[in-house]
Amino acid sequence: MTYLFIILYAITLIYFALSERVKKFVWLLCMQGFMLFGIVFFSLHKIEIFDFIFILTETILVKSLIVPWFLNKVRKHNQLKRIQETSVPVFFSIIVVVLSLIFSFFLSNFLNSNQIHTKYFTVAFASIIFGIYFIIIHKNIFSHVVGYLIIENGTFLLSLAVGSVMPMMVNLAILLDVLMGVLVLGVFINRIGDAFESTKIDQLSSLKD
Amino acid sequence: MLSKAPKLTNYLVLKINMMIFIFIIFALFLSISIFISRNKLVNYFSVSLFSIALFALTIYSYIHINQFDSIYYKFDALGVLLTAVLSLLSLFSFYHSYLYLKRKSNNLKQKAQYYSTLILFITAMISAYFAENLALLWVCIEATSLFVSILIFHSRTKDALEATWKYLFISSVGLAIAFIGILFLSIVASQNGVNNLNFTNLIQAAQNMDILWVKIAFVLILTGLSVKISIFPLYAVAIDAKTIAATPVNALMSTALVNVGFVGIYRMYLIVAQTTTLIWAQHVLMLVGVLSILIATIQLTRVRRFKRLLAFSSMEHMGIVTIGLAIGGVGVYAAILHLIFHSFVKAGMFFQLGAIRNHFKSIWIKDTGNYFKINPLGAIALLLGVISILAIPPSGLFVSELLVFKALFFKNYLIAILVLILLSIIIYIIIKRFAHLLYADVADDLLNKEAQINPYENISQFILFGLVIYLGVNPPLFFTDLIHAAIAILN
Repeated sequence: MTYLFIILYAITLIYFALSERVKKFVWLLCMQGFMLFGIVFFSLHKIEIFDFIFILTETILVKSLIVPWFLNKVRKHNQLKRIQETSVPVFFSIIVVVLSLIFSFFLSNFLNSNQIHTKYFTVAFASIIFGIYFIIIHKNIFSHVVGYLIIENGTFLLSLAVGSVMPMMVNLAILLDVLMGVLVLGVFINRIGDAFESTKIDQLSSLKD
Repeated sequence: MLSKAPKLTNYLVLKINMMIFIFIIFALFLSISIFISRNKLVNYFSVSLFSIALFALTIYSYIHINQFDSIYYKFDALGVLLTAVLSLLSLFSFYHSYLYLKRKSNNLKQKAQYYSTLILFITAMISAYFAENLALLWVCIEATSLFVSILIFHSRTKDALEATWKYLFISSVGLAIAFIGILFLSIVASQNGVNNLNFTNLIQAAQNMDILWVKIAFVLILTGLSVKISIFPLYAVAIDAKTIAATPVNALMSTALVNVGFVGIYRMYLIVAQTTTLIWAQHVLMLVGVLSILIATIQLTRVRRFKRLLAFSSMEHMGIVTIGLAIGGVGVYAAILHLIFHSFVKAGMFFQLGAIRNHFKSIWIKDTGNYFKINPLGAIALLLGVISILAIPPSGLFVSELLVFKALFFKNYLIAILVLILLSIIIYIIIKRFAHLLYADVADDLLNKEAQINPYENISQFILFGLVIYLGVNPPLFFTDLIHAAIAILN
C-alpha cells in the first residue's frame, strides 16, 4: 500500500505541472496531504505510539484539511482564479517533473546507502526539485507559497526516506510548516493583495536603489 | 534530615540545570504582559526586567562555562561571548527603540507589539547561541525569522510589506534547504550510532562519517543560513529588510542575528573539521567569502540610501569572517574577533543613523548634508564609527583584518590581493558617502527643523566604538581566553 500512495503522490506532481487554475493547486495540496497520511499510516507504525498518532493527526488535519482550507480562504479573498503568468509551456513543465523523478531515482541508487529508503527518496527529492522549479516559473506570490508547500511536503517525505529514527524532527518541521508556510505567509498575501491590489511579484520591486 | 540533604541538592541542581528554559518562560511572561497590558509603565518595567535577566544569564553562563543546561543547551565559549555582546546591544537597542517610538508614533498598541516582539526576538537568538542540538538550532533560527518579520513590518507601509514578504519567504525557503542538509547529516549520524543530533556527539562521530553526505549537508546548511549571515548566495532579502526596518531593529539584525547565522555555520564547520573533507569545505568558504565581498563592492557603487550602505558593508565584513574560517588556524580566531568587533561598530552606526534620521526628512544620501554643523557631537560619533567600520587604526577591526590578511599571505593565497583591491574601493565609497553627510551643503527644505539634539543619544555609540578600540588595542585576558576556548576543538 505504501507504494500505491507514493505513486499517487508522484502523480500529483505531474498534475501540478498540468494545472493552471489556482483552485486546482489547493485541491492537489489537499490530495498530497492525504497521500502523506496514507504513507505514514502504512509505514511508520513501528515508532512510538504517541509520535505515530501525533504525525498521523498532523498529516490528516494540518496538511489535508487546515492548510487547503486556509489557502482557499486566501484565494477567495484575493479573487484568484487562473494563474496565467507562467512563461514556460505546460509541456515543458511535465518534462521537468519526469526528469526530476528519473534523476532522483538514479541519485538514490547511486547513493546506495542502507539508511536511505529508495522508495521515499525518489519522490521526496523530485518533489523538492519541482517545488523550486514551481516557484521560479510562477510570478504570483500565492503560487510561490504553493511551491514552498510542495518543497515542505518533499522534505517531510525525505525525513521518512532517511529513516524514522527522529520523529521529533518531523513533528517540529510540520508545526513550523503551518506557522510559517501557511498562516503567516497567507496573512501577508492578503495584506499584499489589499495594499497593491494584485498578488503579482512584479509589484514588489520598489526597494531597489 | 541529613539523609534528605543530597536529594534536596539534586533537586536544586536539576532546577538550575534548566536555566535557559527558565529564562525563556520568563521572557514569554514579560512579552505577553506587555502585549496584553498596553501600558507604558508595564512596557518600561518589563523591558528593564528583561535586560537585567539577560545580563544575569550572561554572568551565569560565564560561571558555568562548558556545562550542559539540560540536554538541549550548553554554555560553550562562543555562546557566552555572543550572549555578552547581545546583552549590551539589547540594552542600547531598547533605549534607542524608546526614542524611535517616541518620535514615530503615539499608538500604544503598536508600541506594545514592538516591545513584546523585540523581547521574543532576542530570546530566540539567545536560545540559538546556546542550542546544543542541531534540530533545536534550526527551530530557533526559524523563530528568529518569524519575530524579526513582525518587527520589519512595524511601520505598516507598502515598502515594509514588500520587505517583510521577501524576507519571510526567502528565509523559509532557505531554512527548508538547511533542514534538508540536517536530514542528510542525520543519515550519516545514525550510520555511526548517533540518534539525537547533539553537536558533542556529532563532533565525536564525525571522523567516521561518509564524506559525500557531510559535503552535501555542509553546502545545503551553508546555503540555507546565508540568509541569516548575509553572505552569498541568499543575501538579497536581508539587505531589503535592513533598508526598511527601524534602526534599533537594524542594529540587532545586522549584528546579533548575523551572529546566529555564524553560530550555525561554525557548528557545522566544527563537525566538518573532524573529517578529511575540511580542505574542500575551506575552499567552498573561501569562494563564498570572496564572492560576498565582490558583490558587496559592486552593490555599494549603486546604493543611494544609508541603510543599504550599512547593510552591504555588513555583507563585506561577513565575507571577511567567512574568509577567516576558510583559512583555518589563526584565521578562525580572527573571524570570531572580527564578528564581535563588527557587532559593536555596526550597531553603533545604526543607532547613529537613527539620530541622523531625526534631523532630515529623508534618509537618502542626496537629501542629507552639513551634519557637522547640525549636530557636532553626533557627527564626531559618526566619524569615529566610520573610522572603526573601515578598519582604520585604532579600530579593533584593523587588528582582526590584519590577522586575516597575515594568515592569507602566510598561506600564499594570492586572492588576498583581489580582496585588498575590493576593500580599497569600499573604503573610497563609504568615505565619499559619509563625507557628503558630514560636509555637503543641504537645502533648508530637506531639514527637519523641529528636531531637537539629544546629547544622551550618542552615549551608546561612544561606548561601543570605545569598546572596539579598547578590545583591539588591549584585549583583557578573559576575552582572549574565551575566543581561544571557542576554537580549542580545532587545535
